[in-house]
Amino acid sequence: MKKTVIITLAMIFSTGMIFGQRYFTKAGKVSFLSDASVEKIEATTNTGTCVLDASSGKIEFAVLIKSFQFEKALMQEHFNENYMESSKFPKGVFKGQIRDWSKIDLSKDGTYKGTATGSLTIHGETKEVEVPVNFKVKNGTPSAEAAFSVALADYKIEIPAVVADNIAKNVSIDVSVDLQPLSK
Amino acid sequence: MKKALVIILALAVVGGFFGYRMYNKPHKDMTAAESDLKVSAEDLLSSFENDEANANEKYNDKVVEVSGTVADVSKDEDGNTKVTLDAGDPLGGVICQLDNLSDHKRLEFPLGEKVAFKGLCTGYLMDVVLVRCVEVQ
Repeated sequence: MKKTVIITLAMIFSTGMIFGQRYFTKAGKVSFLSDASVEKIEATTNTGTCVLDASSGKIEFAVLIKSFQFEKALMQEHFNENYMESSKFPKGVFKGQIRDWSKIDLSKDGTYKGTATGSLTIHGETKEVEVPVNFKVKNGTPSAEAAFSVALADYKIEIPAVVADNIAKNVSIDVSVDLQPLSK
Repeated sequence: MKKALVIILALAVVGGFFGYRMYNKPHKDMTAAESDLKVSAEDLLSSFENDEANANEKYNDKVVEVSGTVADVSKDEDGNTKVTLDAGDPLGGVICQLDNLSDHKRLEFPLGEKVAFKGLCTGYLMDVVLVRCVEVQ
C-alpha cells in the first residue's frame, strides 16, 4: 500500500518534471513604433510564439513578419516588399537565455527583472542582443514583457533617401506574452 | 509660357491627388475578396511541414480558403478572436485570426464544428497562421 503511494507520487512528480517544465504561447503580442520627424508608424501582431524552458531559462520567440498589421495598407506593403523583404525572410526569431535564471522563481507570485541574451534574426541578419525582460507571475501563471530598440542598419534594412525623414533609424519594439504550461 | 505653367500646375494637382489616394489606399476588403486557393486544414499544415519554403511561395499573401473543425477559440485583450482549426496533428493546426476591419456574422464557434475561413496566409511557426479572416458560409 505504502509502496503504491510512493510509486504514484514518484510518477506524478516525474511527469511534472517532464511536462511542467515548459511554458509557451501562440498569441504573443509584438508591436513596433517608428517615431520619425515626419510621421509615426506603428504595427502590431498577436500571433507570435514563445517557448520558455523553466528549468534552464532558455527562451525562444518567433514572429511572422507578414502578420504585422498597419493602419495604412500602403505602409504595410512597403514594409513587406521593400524593407523587410518578408517573402524572402518570413520570420523574426530570438533565441536566447535569461541571465541568472535561478533568481527567478516561476512557482512564486511576484515580479522579477531579468535580462535575455541571445541572437536576434531579422531580415536574414543575426545579431547578438541583450534585452531587459520583466517577468510577472500571477496565480502561478507567468507572463513576460520586453521593450527594446533595434537599429535598422544593423539588420541591413535599407530605407531609400526619399523617405528617410519618414522612417526612424531606430525602431522601438514591445513584446508581451502570457505563458501557459505546455501540457502536450 | 503661361500655357506651360498651367499644364505643370494641372499635372501637380493630378499627381498630388493620385499620390494622396495611393497613400490612403484602403486595406483589402476581405469580405468581398475572391479566394485564390482552397485547401483543407490538414493539407495546408502538411504542405508547410513537408516543404516550408515551397509552401511559403505558394500560400503567403494569397487569400486562402481553409476548411476544418474548430479545435480552439481564443480572444485576447485587444479584442482579437482566433480560431484554431484541427489539422490532425496534436502540436500544430491552422490559426485563423478574424479580421478587425470586417463585420462578422458571429464570433462564437463551437468546438468540433466544421467551418471554413478565408484569410491572408502569413506563414508557419508552430501552426500555419492566417490573418484578416472572415467566415465562408
